[in-house]
Amino acid sequence: MILYTPMQLELVLAGLEQMTHHPERATTVHGVPALVRKVGGREELVQLLSTNPADYLRGDLYPGAPVKPDD
Amino acid sequence: MTFYESFEQVPGIFPYQPPSPPGPGNDPDRRENPDNEPNKERTKVVGKTKSSMEAVKEMGATQIPEVKSNIHCLTIVGQIEGHLVLPPQNKTTKYEHMIPQLVALEQNPEVEGVLIVLNTVGGDVEAGLAIAEIISSMSKPTVSVVLGGGHSIGVPIAVATDYAFIAETASMTIHPIRLTGLVIGVPQTYEYLDKMQDRVVRFVTAHSAITEEKFRELMFRTGELARDIGTVLIGQDAVECGLINEVGGMQQALARLKNLIEERKTRNEVPLQ
Repeated sequence: MILYTPMQLELVLAGLEQMTHHPERATTVHGVPALVRKVGGREELVQLLSTNPADYLRGDLYPGAPVKPDD
Repeated sequence: MTFYESFEQVPGIFPYQPPSPPGPGNDPDRRENPDNEPNKERTKVVGKTKSSMEAVKEMGATQIPEVKSNIHCLTIVGQIEGHLVLPPQNKTTKYEHMIPQLVALEQNPEVEGVLIVLNTVGGDVEAGLAIAEIISSMSKPTVSVVLGGGHSIGVPIAVATDYAFIAETASMTIHPIRLTGLVIGVPQTYEYLDKMQDRVVRFVTAHSAITEEKFRELMFRTGELARDIGTVLIGQDAVECGLINEVGGMQQALARLKNLIEERKTRNEVPLQ
């Protein structure tokens, strides 16, 4: 992986070691397959796994959005 | 004689006589008990109260009335995040979300044009090039505006569109690709980095008016950047070297996009035989 940026790499990557990993799970949100994780008691969307491109234009589903999984 | 009767009487004007006495029972459209009326088609009104309250609570934003637009606007801000999830102090644009969005925009018949707004400090080479490649291969008209900054890997994204604008005060930094990984063999590492750089140079020169010599010269110029070699182009400079088409803001960009949409429509019209 190559980062191409005028920003100092020390600044960009600062805190990389301290980053806590929240376990992610694959589920569906409003019927759309997605990866979600629990952060501070609530669940947020990590990534959509849907193959329908129209799902990616939905206003309520984006990385970081608070979601209620279907299960 | 009362006070009002002391005035001069004008028939039809004073004193005022309503055409029918006020009160219920005279209006033909009045319905006494609309809920119990049989055989009446009912319209259900669904309010947006809950979701707009949620939006205010979560994002501090209010719901705006929905207006159908024939263009979509994609903003690329902060670091372009690629193969590595960056620490949370970075503002990032996630390419894995953007690429299907661009696919959806290309496919959706209601979308006629795409506006790309850039204020990025660069990021992952592969992710940036992926976004640039998918924008350049779209059949729908695309226009980009560099506001603030479009540095490093933001340069290929800015030039990937059909027409590129830069704000007067916006800047673009062009500099060589730096190594972030492990060096085992120096000649091999150099070769590899050179190849990665060639990908960027090739894309930029193929999608803008800048020549390869000029772009490489800007990339390796010394004495302009404090910690690196390279060049900062501000507004007009980027236009003069052929990288960007025009200096302009939102008004020019939207007008240009509208023109491109019209052009595409007339091009696609089948002539009558």
